[in-house]
Amino acid sequence: MRKKIKPQITLKIFVFLCGLSVLGGECNAAGLGGMEKSVVMIRSAGQEFDFVTPWKPKAMAQGTGSGFIIEDNKILTNAHNVSNNKYIELQKEGVAKRYPAKVAFIGHDCDLALLAVEDKSFFDDTKSLELAELPGVNTAVETYGFPMGGRRISVTKGIVSRIQVDTYSHTGADSHLVIQTDAAINPGNSGGPVIQDGKVVGVAFQGLRQADNIGYMIPTTVIKHFLADINDGKYDGFGSLGVMLYPGLHNPGYKDYLNVPADQQGIIVIETIMHSSVETILKPGDVLTQIDQYAIDNDGRVEIYGLKLDMSEVVETKQIGRTVELAYYRDGKPMKTTATVALNRPVLEFARQYDIEPEYVCFAGLVFVPVTRNYLETWGPEWVKDMPFYLRYLFRNSMQLNTDRARKEYVVLSEIMPDEINAYAEEFKSQVVTSINGATIEGLEDVWKVFEKPPEGFYTIMFMGMDRPLILDAKEAHTLQSKILTKYDIPQQTRLEGQQ
Amino acid sequence: MRIKNLELRIMNEEFRIKRSVPIISFLHSKFSILTCVFASLLLTGTSARAGDEQTREAMKGSIVYLEISSYGYDQIRPWKNTDIQQKSGVGCATGAYQVITPAWNLTDAKLIKAKVLGQNEYIPAKIKTIDYEIDLALLELEPNAMKKPLKPIKFEDKFQRGAKLNYYWLNANAEMTTGQGYMDRAEMARSTVSYAYLLNLIVTNTSQETSTGQVYCDGSTPVGISCWSKSSTETGLIPAAIINNFLARAKDGNYPGVPAAGFAAEVLLDPAMRTYLKMPATMKNGVQVTSVYTIGTGNESLKAGDVILAIDGKELDAYGKFLYPAYDRILFHHLITSHKIGDDIVFDIWRDGGKQQLHVQARNFDVGEMLVPYYEYGSQPEYAVTGGFVFQKLTRSYLANWGKDWDGKVAPHLLYYLRDMAFKPTAQRREIVILSYCLPAQINLGYTDLSQLVVSKFNGMPISRISDIVKAQKLNPGAKYDVVEFELDNPTVVIPRQQLPQADATLATSYGIRKLVNINP
Repeated sequence: MRKKIKPQITLKIFVFLCGLSVLGGECNAAGLGGMEKSVVMIRSAGQEFDFVTPWKPKAMAQGTGSGFIIEDNKILTNAHNVSNNKYIELQKEGVAKRYPAKVAFIGHDCDLALLAVEDKSFFDDTKSLELAELPGVNTAVETYGFPMGGRRISVTKGIVSRIQVDTYSHTGADSHLVIQTDAAINPGNSGGPVIQDGKVVGVAFQGLRQADNIGYMIPTTVIKHFLADINDGKYDGFGSLGVMLYPGLHNPGYKDYLNVPADQQGIIVIETIMHSSVETILKPGDVLTQIDQYAIDNDGRVEIYGLKLDMSEVVETKQIGRTVELAYYRDGKPMKTTATVALNRPVLEFARQYDIEPEYVCFAGLVFVPVTRNYLETWGPEWVKDMPFYLRYLFRNSMQLNTDRARKEYVVLSEIMPDEINAYAEEFKSQVVTSINGATIEGLEDVWKVFEKPPEGFYTIMFMGMDRPLILDAKEAHTLQSKILTKYDIPQQTRLEGQQ
Repeated sequence: MRIKNLELRIMNEEFRIKRSVPIISFLHSKFSILTCVFASLLLTGTSARAGDEQTREAMKGSIVYLEISSYGYDQIRPWKNTDIQQKSGVGCATGAYQVITPAWNLTDAKLIKAKVLGQNEYIPAKIKTIDYEIDLALLELEPNAMKKPLKPIKFEDKFQRGAKLNYYWLNANAEMTTGQGYMDRAEMARSTVSYAYLLNLIVTNTSQETSTGQVYCDGSTPVGISCWSKSSTETGLIPAAIINNFLARAKDGNYPGVPAAGFAAEVLLDPAMRTYLKMPATMKNGVQVTSVYTIGTGNESLKAGDVILAIDGKELDAYGKFLYPAYDRILFHHLITSHKIGDDIVFDIWRDGGKQQLHVQARNFDVGEMLVPYYEYGSQPEYAVTGGFVFQKLTRSYLANWGKDWDGKVAPHLLYYLRDMAFKPTAQRREIVILSYCLPAQINLGYTDLSQLVVSKFNGMPISRISDIVKAQKLNPGAKYDVVEFELDNPTVVIPRQQLPQADATLATSYGIRKLVNINP
């Protein structure tokens, strides 16, 4: 039933996945404005993980993308060009030599990565590019890179079509500012610079599959956030306020019911997210009217960078741990509070993850893994529809359904490695574990804690929505453990965070 | 031809007994083969052919052609009817002016006409008793419209594995038509719509798809009427026992229905589970109760985890089947459904490491008692439209509007109630009331995208059923607004009462809704 799939998304990531034979030819630098000294070709070999039986690696895949040199001899590119990589090689326009590279920093949520090259000769005769501000709509831009259709640097021209907040398809869950352009962006362009007046206004990264000439770039606001984030030597990511909002003030009755003055605009708080800084401060029915110096309108937008953008754009300017000032109405009274920007991730992670070896516990042939989007996507192109009920329910509603403050993740019985001890366990496959021997399972580590030492008698494993437990004879399970691991060539019985 | 798939995966999977090859004793199977051979020898003889011809002639006065015009309701716009559908079926005389036919033929019937052989004029018919669970309906034909009365047929329990069966029906031109098939086995089955498992006889290698009431005979003995078919390979028959019980109970017009299980049970093969339950190693029988409902037979006595060892002294195997001499092994549900409502049923169970005996009363429930009814036929769905907000009762028919693979497409928080809670209504919660969607208008500005939300409170009153909405609207007479709250994290809907009468009148006109509220009394 299951097969590994390409992400089912309308936004197509433009990494060029097949190599072409090398073509010779004279230098075509004329007309490139020196960009050939800044833009590089990136070739990466990567290997995906298996999220059902995580000890097995998946097939290797190679791709070609673009990147460019910025200050301090770093190469900026898309995270998706170098995700799950095993080897990266750079090539400069018109130079035969290949340079091995390594990922210095990678931000999957913003689809950006910074590469480092050890061989300093790489930077001979190169030029680093500067970052500009947001370009105006309907101004001309050029994209540079190594798209399909040839091996040499390519340039295309177009204009900035619009600027808005949209989903970044690399993780499928994170939204940031994007700039849309009609300058052709094709597979292989990914990671290449979009240039205006000789400066970078964006990194080409995705396009709309069904449309003509709708390509997107990552604007410099996002790039600068990424670069500032890694200043301390590690990447933390983009944060949020941790509040669910609803644009309901369009309705004068709702506005009056919430005691908000008739001429006041704002956005309604529906719920706060568990563990967020505003969890106990804001309440459903509060109306946010201002974030820092920006007034919030009834659509939840603010005027920033001279544009009307989602209020999340104000949060995007801050690093994790920084604060924003919020003004809100409660029961007709204007109030103020300070909110701290934090990751506020849902207990069932919406975002596709990369570069993290998936965790698992394999006991008595039963394979337990955390429920992640990567795991759920193993149900194929129509995974949302095809996955079992409780997984879909949790995927959609984990933030409402989970009331356990200590929960780290949900755990699922992902696979059964057949053996006599688990011969009757089939009905529990792909079901979500709730408890084992009475101990609530709040994360994969809890599973291992229970299985590590044999109790007297039985293991009683309970699953969500099922009244009947899975029963294992504890002594027998421990006796058979190494035999089953050997039989299925499973190198270790667990892979857990912080465990070597 | 409609097909009722036996293995249909009903959403809630409340019964997960896996169909398996029954364990037949060697002796028994030998006997079956012998009987088969003997039977087929008989039937191939010339006397058998002559007998078939006689039966065919006899059937001419007993079988009617039914033409049904059905006019259901749009589940999403419940104030509106769907297109008229013409269906046909077969009726079989059980009285001079009475016929039976599968209930499924008659869903949302507005007009039923019968045709008999030798009469051009249609005969009006009306439903006297209908039970969708056993898939049978009793129709009364208008005596004054008939030239002569029908010849009633008597169904008899006759089951010979491998016997050649003939079936009879009247086609649209009132021609007697026949075909053949072979009696194969007996099985407990659930129709596409129903929740109860009932005995079906399975006929294989049928000449055509027969699923609309064709009368099957073993020789001259009518043994059942067809109610589902899988292409032309298999047909399910409603057996004589169920037909005769139905007729006996429907006679006085006060039909009580058949008992249904108030619990779900699953196979119990796992030896580790048996040891865990402290069952002796020699005890290999019993099926495990995995979910107990709040309605139906046994719901008050059984507990999840109980092992049902026997019902009425009939031992259940690990698959939940018992030995029924004629049919071999069939699911335990037959031991419940063949009782009359109110009968005492004895359950031998294994609980807390020992044997116990429970006396439970055979109970049925109406589909409308379910928290999420599987179907609603013959009546307009209940709804209330106020301020453009369309409130409805959640039913399976409603969710099925999402089309193929609807269970994967509908909002999981709605499916949860059907899948896990359908048979578990409580005094506090008898129905699931949803805001289906919003008909956009000035009064609901800003709310127009809301849909598929489960209503928790209306004007502060917890909503237990759709009729509560109308009651709740009368609460807080001094308040400016009707206030609707929902489950999970959702906005509160605020409807200004002052604008409501005018807005509702405008909405009714502009969206063509003649009746804004339909709540059954």
